[in-house]
Amino acid sequence: MALVRRAGIGRYYDVNGWLFVAPALGLIALFMIYPIAWSLWMSFQSGRGMTMKFAGFANIVRLWNDPVFIKALTNTMTYFVVQVPIMILLALILASLLNNPRLVGRGLFRTAIFLPCVSSLVAYSVLFKGMFATDGIVNSTLQAIGLVASPIPWLTHPFWAKVLVILAITWRWTGYNMIFYLAALQNIDKSIYEVARIDGVPAWARFTHLTIPLLKPVILFTTIISTIGTLQLFDEVYNLTEGKGGPSNATLTLSLYIYNLTFRFMPNLGYAATVSYVIVVLVALLAFVQFFAARERDR
Amino acid sequence: MDIQARAYLPRIAALALAGASFLGVSAAQAKEITIWCWDPNFNVAIMKEAGDRYTKTHPDVTFNIVDFAKLDVEQKLQTGLSSGTADALPDIVLIEDYGAQKYLQSFPGAFAPLSGTVDYSGFAPYKVELMTLDGEVYGMPFDSGVTGLYYRKDYLEAAGFKPEDMQDLTWDRFIEIGKQVEAKTGKKMMGLDPNDAGLVRIIMQSAGQWYFHKEGKPNITGNAALKAALETIGKIMQANIYKPANGWSDWVGTFSSGDVATVVTGVWITGTVKAQPDQSGNWGVAPIPALSIEGATHASNLGGSSWYVLESSEEKAEAIDFLNEIYAKDIDFYQKILQDRGAVGSLLAARGGAAYEAADPFFGGEKVWQNFSEWLAKVPSVNYGIFTNEADLAVTAQLPAVTQGTPVDEVLKAIEAEIAGQIQ
Repeated sequence: MALVRRAGIGRYYDVNGWLFVAPALGLIALFMIYPIAWSLWMSFQSGRGMTMKFAGFANIVRLWNDPVFIKALTNTMTYFVVQVPIMILLALILASLLNNPRLVGRGLFRTAIFLPCVSSLVAYSVLFKGMFATDGIVNSTLQAIGLVASPIPWLTHPFWAKVLVILAITWRWTGYNMIFYLAALQNIDKSIYEVARIDGVPAWARFTHLTIPLLKPVILFTTIISTIGTLQLFDEVYNLTEGKGGPSNATLTLSLYIYNLTFRFMPNLGYAATVSYVIVVLVALLAFVQFFAARERDR
Repeated sequence: MDIQARAYLPRIAALALAGASFLGVSAAQAKEITIWCWDPNFNVAIMKEAGDRYTKTHPDVTFNIVDFAKLDVEQKLQTGLSSGTADALPDIVLIEDYGAQKYLQSFPGAFAPLSGTVDYSGFAPYKVELMTLDGEVYGMPFDSGVTGLYYRKDYLEAAGFKPEDMQDLTWDRFIEIGKQVEAKTGKKMMGLDPNDAGLVRIIMQSAGQWYFHKEGKPNITGNAALKAALETIGKIMQANIYKPANGWSDWVGTFSSGDVATVVTGVWITGTVKAQPDQSGNWGVAPIPALSIEGATHASNLGGSSWYVLESSEEKAEAIDFLNEIYAKDIDFYQKILQDRGAVGSLLAARGGAAYEAADPFFGGEKVWQNFSEWLAKVPSVNYGIFTNEADLAVTAQLPAVTQGTPVDEVLKAIEAEIAGQIQ
């Protein structure tokens, strides 16, 4: 029997083909689609632990009246607005510096900057907590070189606690983004820079008018990845603040709030599912905005 | 070779299955009781002692005591109960008293009622009340968090105070002493973690109040004890007689390093205090200071936990019998865990034992256990309700406002607003 390559719609009725993809589809349906659909259904229920009742939009109404949720949302957006641009810019600058072939020891620098990324989220958070304690190494160094008179209350003051979280995640993730930019920079034709240099374009203009536009797809990608990462921020805050998001809920994130609603508080899985969908909607909206902004400049 | 292996495959599989079922059967015969708890030096060690005692009279029962961090026990339990599958759950689990009603009410039918088996009249009443739901008592009362004021005799003496001066203080007097201790010795009076509401809970319960009324409604703005507790914390902070701590180990460090003159907390800290042998003879224990409001006492509670049997457990009958035999009847067991671990149980009859009568040289020969068990009977009974964690976080979030001098009535309103959004 000769194999006949069937064209068009006939291919969709090929039982063998479906049989081959069936196991994968079945697993995806069981472990991805079913939980996602079920969590959507759960977000319309409310109750304590196992005693759940259909509640309609009550959970969404509750979001508006929940000061802790508003606080967690504000904190998460603060991290996002402050930290992502700083990190992306820093990664870009580091990448173009380290892409310079004349730089001595650039392999060493690349490794050093990428290394934080290999560390476990929990391990480095615990380490940061020790370093930034009231009598920790950071405060004693700052005092020794005379930058501050009294120790900075890194973990006990609402403002400094936020600064610490931003410092920590920037330290952890800048190298990660830098690697993407380094890889993308290798793909840019060197002759473009040669031409620019011959035409007398200064270094700064070459960076802003050549490097950044040429890296745009990668920048878009890393921005979206970082957005998702920041909106899901959990490990660092959990470990720096012993799971409380303190002081005064100043570092509480949406993910930590979901965790608290599920495992620390009276378990209200329905409300926790609603808060999870807030993250889904936010990620979708922000990704759309970022795509839109990038597409505009394409013309 | 290949063909041979294929031919044998069904037989091998059958053998393996038979082996597995055989193992299953033998495990069922041995009756293994699985227990989840935290703290290897306290709960785990005590449960091992209890297990050894029970195995002596019941050789067919063995114990598998699993040691997790407290947060992990709570998370695993909550996940297991929410998922509705009992396979992953243990037979007995340790639950902190603040969370007891939360589990009993959110997962009805998940825990076995023990009212028919256990004689609860012998236990401290506040422990029994917090595990009662709709007339049924669930759980076996275990350790008590009865509070005391641990103080450094040497520091206080240097400041001109004798042990008699430390008995039955008020909080205002305590702060006054703190100022003099700092002036004369340079030591702070106490360690305080501004992200921990433990001291608020201690002071509030000592006056017989809690975050919630008996019937479960929030009790914040009209709560004189909570108001006085926050005012007291504010005064301690204003007088600057505390050493700030961040997190548990930091807080323990404030007194183990000898930086502070007193510790106000639950009796379970005794082992940690005694872990510094060079400070032996320098410590004393007094009742905690009282508020100056109506209903104020010198007795309170912080933490403490109890054992619960899962209804779905296959070894339910054995687990209940085990808890009843050891924790409700074995007076000698309570002497042993008091001596070895500093655990003050909530079985009142245990107070008559020899270990409770003993004087402790670490505390300069004071009969500290006798004192603690006397205070235990006086702890005001309150309804912890089901939202203590939520209320606690709301209070913690507002503590900085108290330090900055915001009027306490406004702080209470803010706490009530936050709790109202949380409890639904």
